[in-house]
Amino acid sequence: MLATRMRLKLEEWIDAFGKVVKFGSEVVVDIFGGRVMTFFGETLRQAGVLIIGSAVVIWTLMFFVGLQCGIEGAYFTRSLGAPAYAGVFTAWCDLREIAPYAFGYMMCAKVGTGIVAEIGSMRINDEIDALEVMGIDSVLFLASTRLLAAWLVLPFLYIAGVGGAFFASYLAVVQQIGDVSSGSYSLIFWLFQNPPDLLFSLIKAMAMATFIVIIACYYGYHVTGGPVGVGTATAKSMVANIVVVHLVGMMGTVFFWGANPRAPIGG
Amino acid sequence: MTDETFDQEGNATPRSDGAATDSGSYVPETFVDPTTGESFPTALPPEHRPVEPTVHLDEFGNRIPPNAPGYEHAGPYDFHSHTVRDHGAQRSAIEFVDVHKAFGRNKVLNGLNLEIPEDQISMILGPSGTGKSVCIKHMVGLLYPDQGDVLVHGESVPDMEDSRLFEVRKKFGVLFQDGALFGSMNLFDNVAFPLRQHTDKSEVDVAEIVNRRLGEVGLGNDGDKMPNELSGGMRKRAGFARALVLDPDIVLFDEPDSGLDPVRTALLCELIKEIHDENGGAYVVITHDILSARRVAEHIALLWKGRIVDAGPAQELFDSENPFVKQFLTGDAIGPLGME
Repeated sequence: MLATRMRLKLEEWIDAFGKVVKFGSEVVVDIFGGRVMTFFGETLRQAGVLIIGSAVVIWTLMFFVGLQCGIEGAYFTRSLGAPAYAGVFTAWCDLREIAPYAFGYMMCAKVGTGIVAEIGSMRINDEIDALEVMGIDSVLFLASTRLLAAWLVLPFLYIAGVGGAFFASYLAVVQQIGDVSSGSYSLIFWLFQNPPDLLFSLIKAMAMATFIVIIACYYGYHVTGGPVGVGTATAKSMVANIVVVHLVGMMGTVFFWGANPRAPIGG
Repeated sequence: MTDETFDQEGNATPRSDGAATDSGSYVPETFVDPTTGESFPTALPPEHRPVEPTVHLDEFGNRIPPNAPGYEHAGPYDFHSHTVRDHGAQRSAIEFVDVHKAFGRNKVLNGLNLEIPEDQISMILGPSGTGKSVCIKHMVGLLYPDQGDVLVHGESVPDMEDSRLFEVRKKFGVLFQDGALFGSMNLFDNVAFPLRQHTDKSEVDVAEIVNRRLGEVGLGNDGDKMPNELSGGMRKRAGFARALVLDPDIVLFDEPDSGLDPVRTALLCELIKEIHDENGGAYVVITHDILSARRVAEHIALLWKGRIVDAGPAQELFDSENPFVKQFLTGDAIGPLGME
């Protein structure tokens, strides 16, 4: 009985995965094929919605995790008797791991759920059917425009967020705990990262954002069963997105820094 | 054990060893309820015993609910006339050809054959849950039949490529039950949306057309309102304006009267009639409101159990002697249509 249930659940997940991949492929092809430019106005509107609705909340979370990295880094290196090296911890924590995760979490919670709820409500209110019967490709109009808007806006938003996290770590390590001078901290902090690291971090974050937007659009677009269906789809997309954020985070770290951690330690 | 069997008409025919004797006296016997299998003694003579209605099963083996009292033994399609009346139009705008559609085990359309005449206001009537809205979704290719064909101006909708389907959909204007206005746009932008997407008109021309359409439906001063600031009736009227803005050949109305008071329903019907007189085209109204049908319908199709009971010019149906048609179009409680 349990085995049957598990098998059915697994089949359901595989089925959903296949459908998300197919849906996502259509969305991406619409962007690279240029069809999305038909609705560039809608794309800009969605970009505006992202900036106005999500930028501050994403930056705030990234700032606080930057503070956290700084505090943990300072006390950890103090416990090893090497407080001057707090910058090693914060450089990696901010850029490689925590900043992308914080960005991913807030994307799931704010942007992803918002997309599911909005598109799902459109589905149950017949607005998507209305688009279709007006001769408008609803996937193109609703999903491709949102993904392109995310690609246009989020790199800048993310880099600004990383900057906020760096600043927060500096505040925590140098101004709050004060075991290391500003110059010493900066020397180590910048020594343990380089521009490609920022690019890799950005790629991680943008991969997360891409999956989150596609998954959210998929679940919103396929809502059935009224308001309860919208709630169920929102919950499902949140679960799927949190899993994806961690998969992308883990694989990104292995792929970008697994073979060459670029840690200038020893020779 | 005593057996009860039922003939085609559903009459009980006791086959027992304890029925009426030669002397005419009646010996109590066991009556078996054929639906539950429960047996109990009965002293009632056969003609006065409760009669279990004939059980009709669909192709999945599901029991089809019986008809109202007095019509229990009628088959599910005994009232369907199977006659094709001349609708009087030059050609059909939409045709359903033996359309079957099921959602899981729920068979909604079961061999639907229907013609919607050009340049007339047609009404598809029927009890709730008989597949009227499913019909509309088939017309615009939002749903595809499991079997059969749907033709729009002679072109098969299920066989169309996506690009062709999007083109054909431009022939349609659809008024959804709640208007289906886009919540992120104000009324003006909602109505202007199809024009901006499908035409190269300047903003001045768009504004002129939108304001005219909004004026026709009595919303000329409400263009800057958001959909959530409108009443249900206003949303429907706004949806109507949006449906008309591209001057479509075919306009579909999905229960335009639902949730409206009788006066506003009457006004909306008048509006539909006026605008049809002005613009022409095939208008299809889905409803179960008989008053609306009497007001605006030129052609009526009555749908029940996934098939058309009868279809033809409105007056011919209002004069029909078919018990089902008569009951539905007079709104009578007595007749083949029960609560189930």
